[in-house]
Amino acid sequence: MVKRFMSWLSDPLGRIGLLIAFLAVFSGAAFGLYTTQTAPPQPIQFPHNLHVGLGVQCLYCHPGAYRQASAGLPTETKCWGCHQQLSKYADGTVALPAELQKLKAYVDANKPIQWVPVAQVPDFVHFNHRPHIAAGLNCENCHGDMSKVTVAENPQVMNMGWCLECHRARTVDNPEKRNKLLDCGTCHY
Amino acid sequence: MTDNFSRRDFLKLASVGAATTAILTGCGPASRYVTREPYTKMPEYTYNGQSTYYATTCRECAAGCGLVVRTMQGRAIKVEGNKNHPVNLGKTCVRGQATLHGLYNPDRVQDPAKQSKRGSRDFSNMDWDAAIAVVADALKNTDPTGVTFLMGMAPDHLFDLVSDLAKAIGAPAPIRFGALGMFEARATLGKAVESLFGQAAMPFFDMGKSDLVFSFGANFLETWLSPVAFTRGFANMRRGGGHGRGTLVHFEPRMSQTASKADMWIPITPGTEGLVALAIGRIAAEARGGSLPAAFADVDVEAIAKSSGVSAEKLDELGKLFASADAALAIPGGAALAHSNGLETAEAVLALNALVGGLGRAGGVFLAPLAPMQTEFSRPANMAEMADFVEKMKSGEIKTLFIHGVNPVFELPKSLGFEDALKSVQTVISFATFPDETAMQADYVFPDHHGLESWGYQRVAAGSSQSALSGAQPVVSPYYNTRATADVFLAAAASVGGATAQALPFKDEVEFIQSKIVALVSESDGYFGAPEINTFTAYFQQYGGWWKTVDELATPGGDVLGKAIQVGEARFAGEGEFYFHPFVSPVLGEAGANKPWLQEIPDPTTTAMWSSWVEIHPETAHELGVDNDDVVLITSEAGAVEAVVYKYPAIRPDTIAMPFGQGHTAYGRYAEGRGSNPADLFGEQVNGAGDLAFADMRVKVEKTGKKYPLSRLESRMGVYGEALGEEH
Repeated sequence: MVKRFMSWLSDPLGRIGLLIAFLAVFSGAAFGLYTTQTAPPQPIQFPHNLHVGLGVQCLYCHPGAYRQASAGLPTETKCWGCHQQLSKYADGTVALPAELQKLKAYVDANKPIQWVPVAQVPDFVHFNHRPHIAAGLNCENCHGDMSKVTVAENPQVMNMGWCLECHRARTVDNPEKRNKLLDCGTCHY
Repeated sequence: MTDNFSRRDFLKLASVGAATTAILTGCGPASRYVTREPYTKMPEYTYNGQSTYYATTCRECAAGCGLVVRTMQGRAIKVEGNKNHPVNLGKTCVRGQATLHGLYNPDRVQDPAKQSKRGSRDFSNMDWDAAIAVVADALKNTDPTGVTFLMGMAPDHLFDLVSDLAKAIGAPAPIRFGALGMFEARATLGKAVESLFGQAAMPFFDMGKSDLVFSFGANFLETWLSPVAFTRGFANMRRGGGHGRGTLVHFEPRMSQTASKADMWIPITPGTEGLVALAIGRIAAEARGGSLPAAFADVDVEAIAKSSGVSAEKLDELGKLFASADAALAIPGGAALAHSNGLETAEAVLALNALVGGLGRAGGVFLAPLAPMQTEFSRPANMAEMADFVEKMKSGEIKTLFIHGVNPVFELPKSLGFEDALKSVQTVISFATFPDETAMQADYVFPDHHGLESWGYQRVAAGSSQSALSGAQPVVSPYYNTRATADVFLAAAASVGGATAQALPFKDEVEFIQSKIVALVSESDGYFGAPEINTFTAYFQQYGGWWKTVDELATPGGDVLGKAIQVGEARFAGEGEFYFHPFVSPVLGEAGANKPWLQEIPDPTTTAMWSSWVEIHPETAHELGVDNDDVVLITSEAGAVEAVVYKYPAIRPDTIAMPFGQGHTAYGRYAEGRGSNPADLFGEQVNGAGDLAFADMRVKVEKTGKKYPLSRLESRMGVYGEALGEEH
């Protein structure tokens, strides 16, 4: 059978056919893979720049970063707690913008907003915010300047090389700490 | 493989395919992007991905065990015992674990509702304002002497509130009842303690420090009084602090779970427990020397050996064993007291402790301390009082009946006619969390929260040597449109106005609870102290209650052995050839049938699940011509039920036994239409303390010709393979 297949390959038409078949399978698979790695659109185009510009601290909405592994997402009660007080919308002088109407709809229906996480690491990495904050890092060190973006974006690829680069740089004069921070089990457990 | 396609070709192609797949899919995650759902309303102290733990009190029975419930993102996910709690020291029983299945039960009553006709199950939902108006109207426009509150054995804070309310409107004091209290014979224990020691109290059995326990029918490892505390005591006795391994001798006509843990199981003739106790007392007294105390002087050991089925040699051995132990303990309870001579039996057994100096001695009998804020011993209503109550209902004296925390249509003997008597009551309002049989016979159902969604407190009646008040708080927000019954009564009282509103001037349940526990702020010796009520309440929630740090056990007094104890013969009702021995299912308890976890747990002695059964000795079954899975009709003087035969070698051949807990005609999808209810067989005979003599029954057993394959874990060859070779 293999012999017959090989003789068929020596025919130019056969080679073209094989190439087409390979391209079809490969591009299909590549597209499937691409879709799993592409972020779906955010439910609300949240303007980080506006909020940071108004002086809202990161930890006000993401307080978990200070205490636990996950920075957390604000609840709707937190969003709406401020927004319902904005008098220009409340008294009807300014119509509620489209994005805030979406928020109001979620609040009225008591439905959770299905946010899409932006800064994400694979399941086999146990990332914890708390020690990073405790080590004196600021949010923008990793997440970039949020006063410049609307919907959050990653300023860099969050891969292991990037993690280790910082872990090495910050432990130049402390071999014991370096051992701990470069140990596989620190993040992969 | 064919000629055209060799094995080698197949392997080549397969490996090329596998390699291609591996390269194409790469090593990345299958799906990198997911969406996250944050809370819509998150409590400030909750953190994503971290559990929050709340201390509360178990409501599956009235023992008042402390729980610590793990919650995750607003959902209760695991129940454990509260390590600091004096009753259970961090442990729970299976029913406590399964309380989650009550919380998440799909058949919970989700809205206040009015039933178009009692028993029709045609409910139309109401809003709470209308519901409160109904309660207020019932309180205001009924003659107060016709308003009655029927409460369960838990929770105590609601009982206190309802007692205050009844007093304020001039209604009779609320009545408390629970099937477990009936099966435990609580009233009998209290009365026996009063008549022997001159003081009404709950006895406290210090099993942990004892080296020999004689248990007369007390199923303390199953459901009796405070099973988790007794299980700990039993374990300590077995470990033998200073005594060596302790010994348990259990007297019961069938091998119960407790009996199966005993070193010696004495399958005694039902109703002779008190006589046997007297015989043991006499032999022990003689073995100890000195003059024979009056309590045991007139005892005829030979006659007792004959009537009880325990040989004179065995009685002699047991008596000498009891006399020779360092710290012997005798416990009366359960079916042993459910005979016409039950009160005297309890006295005879308690007197055994006095004989060996066990009153107030480590490993002996004490009087349990009163709970904080409790001034006198209280007990649930006994059967005589319930019978009076049913009579009152029948005569039309009771116009409005509020029912909370108890399911009397299911739990009371059918012969008492509670369901019929309800027809003479104008308005019946149930506060049931689940659609139980009693709620189905009510005009209104105003559902209370589940225990894990509730505030409250429970007084610890038995099971702790320290005076203890167990605290409850919600571990999750209520899932449905339910409302705390306490809040409903407070709102109704406020709208009634006048003296009623003045008697209960609280804005909500928590304020009411604070008004009660404020008395503890000034107490010393507490597990914690606080300068004022708000801090105290915070600690009360954090620790799951308040208790003394020191033991407050009292030594029973009185001339116990000075007068003769007369135990008469038990008077059995009915003509049948078998003694009937009902027992509370060790797994289901009185109200566990609606929890699939519990239904799925094999009964500890028979391994039967999802149904009820009747235990018949294999020889008896052979004589009757019945086999495993045959359905038989059991007829007593008062009624008849059908049950599936389970051939059980560990029961007296003249006795049949049946678990209580199944046989529901309502109570949700997991309970309804499953098994049968032995309470349908119960008569109205009571013992000297007014407790139901449910074991004083003779029944007939007839074959029906039907079969019902009983679901059970063990092989269908039977406990000891007695059915090997038969077709099963």
